[in-house]
Amino acid sequence: MTQFPTIYLTVNKLRLISKNPYFNLLKKPFYKILFFLLIMFSSVKPQISNINSPDNRLKFANYLFNEKDYLRALNEYKEYLKQNQNDTAYFKYAESFLRIGRFEEAAENFKSLFFNSSLEDEAKLEFFKAHFLIGLNSKNFSYFRNLFSKEVYSTTKYYKEIKRLTLISHFFDNSALPDTNEFFSTFDDSNYVSIKNFYLIKKSPKYKNPNKAGILSAILPGLGKIYSGKISDGITSFITTCLFTFFSIDNFKHNHHFRGWLFAGLSAITYAGNIYGSIASTHIYNARLKNDFNNKIKYYFEERNFLLPNIEFVNR
Amino acid sequence: MRKSLIILLLVLPVTILSQNLFTQLSYADSLFKNKNYFDAITEYKRLMFFDNSKSFSFITNFNIAKCYKAGGKYEEAIKYFSKAELSTDNSAQKYRAKIEIVKVNLLRKTTDRALQILNEIERTEEFNQLKDSINYWKGWVYIFKDEWKLAKSYFDKVEKGHTLSKISSNVLKEKYSVTFAKLISYIVPGSGQFYTGNILSGLMSMAYNMIFGYLTVKAFSEDRFFDGALIGSLLWLRFYRGNIQNAEKFAIEKNIAISNNALKFLQYEYKGDKP
Repeated sequence: MTQFPTIYLTVNKLRLISKNPYFNLLKKPFYKILFFLLIMFSSVKPQISNINSPDNRLKFANYLFNEKDYLRALNEYKEYLKQNQNDTAYFKYAESFLRIGRFEEAAENFKSLFFNSSLEDEAKLEFFKAHFLIGLNSKNFSYFRNLFSKEVYSTTKYYKEIKRLTLISHFFDNSALPDTNEFFSTFDDSNYVSIKNFYLIKKSPKYKNPNKAGILSAILPGLGKIYSGKISDGITSFITTCLFTFFSIDNFKHNHHFRGWLFAGLSAITYAGNIYGSIASTHIYNARLKNDFNNKIKYYFEERNFLLPNIEFVNR
Repeated sequence: MRKSLIILLLVLPVTILSQNLFTQLSYADSLFKNKNYFDAITEYKRLMFFDNSKSFSFITNFNIAKCYKAGGKYEEAIKYFSKAELSTDNSAQKYRAKIEIVKVNLLRKTTDRALQILNEIERTEEFNQLKDSINYWKGWVYIFKDEWKLAKSYFDKVEKGHTLSKISSNVLKEKYSVTFAKLISYIVPGSGQFYTGNILSGLMSMAYNMIFGYLTVKAFSEDRFFDGALIGSLLWLRFYRGNIQNAEKFAIEKNIAISNNALKFLQYEYKGDKP
């Protein structure tokens, strides 16, 4: 796109007019007004004349960011930042990566705001959030927790929030939970009850013992299933096993040996199958319990933005 | 000379002012034409953002929606078609946007919503002249609902012997009757599968039913009631029920295949207006 520099045009117009014999006309009021109007028109132009100018690009990028079209916003920020220095724009550029789930790139870009920037603390907070989310995706928080202990990345302004994030991370993997005193001191009263609940469940989950289920089923067919919460399954297996056993005994009594053995076999299969089934169903029960709990805490923290503060200027 | 100079000077800034936006529009359009939908959307959005007078509002929203539709992002497409619809007072443009929403609803298989919108359009006095077009799209809705008879009736309303009406009646002819397949399977096991063309499976069904039927009858005739009941209930009935369900399944599967073939044909071969 070729753009006419506005000033150049206006000067040109003036020169054109001054050379023109009609220049004298300007002394007449009507033409004075006309000339004035012309100048006014010209002055409207610059605001819009180049929609790809850096200023306009930044405005457009902010608009896209607010529209939640982060992928396009980050392209615009990138173009803008090629020629300009602007920490807010850079922060939003990194934030765009974070919001579309490209956490590694987000973390890298937040890193460049750590020095000589007024947004240092906010950048660090978001940097930790990005690494937390990387950990959440890969279910491995060791790198994230390691970062917290490093002096270079520490921030006094958001120390408490980031500390809390490291504590929250313990809910999402199999690491040992920290001591209660240390754990609860960082949480506000409004979240205290839920967090305490989660802590207790995480610390001693109400799992059922597969071996116990197996033994119970061996003593009385179906009992293990009832123990693992499948009551109707338990009753059904009890009845089937009893029925097959009865058929078997009855047939032996009446000297139908083939049928007797047939039902004895069936009865043995259901008996053994029931023991195996009880063990399997406790495993399934435990897995479901764990899964439900994980989803619940994930939902709880995601809904509350992992108890992190919202950064004001980003959403403006 | 004086007049022309004044006019020229007056018009010049205004034209340059809007010229920028026009260049932007043609740039975005060229991206759209080259199927570079992602960048096209960016440029259309840029145009929309700097278009303070909102004079490009319809075209930008409409084209953004088209880009999203082409990229398979139907939710976004519907959002922007709706924005386009709201941004204009022109009834032809409104209608275009509404029909596009119907089309996207067809593509994302929310046919009920498409039908609802068409019924709303039909009830609006503004669009009374467009009965044919509305019926045409209703026909399409019923194609996607897999109700070819209704589809045919709507295409017939548009024009007797419409190409799509012919296609619909062909599909209707080709389709198997699920009820018929089940019914004959009740009477002669295996015949339902023969009807749908699955000969082998029909023969198997027939054989199983004959063997177990024979065994059951034999057991009862020899006064072995327990054996008879066992074979009859566990084996014969199982294969008898299975045979009927099998016939039903085959008929439904074949019907889906026929519909899909027809849809494929419409997608690649049909030249008229389509979603």
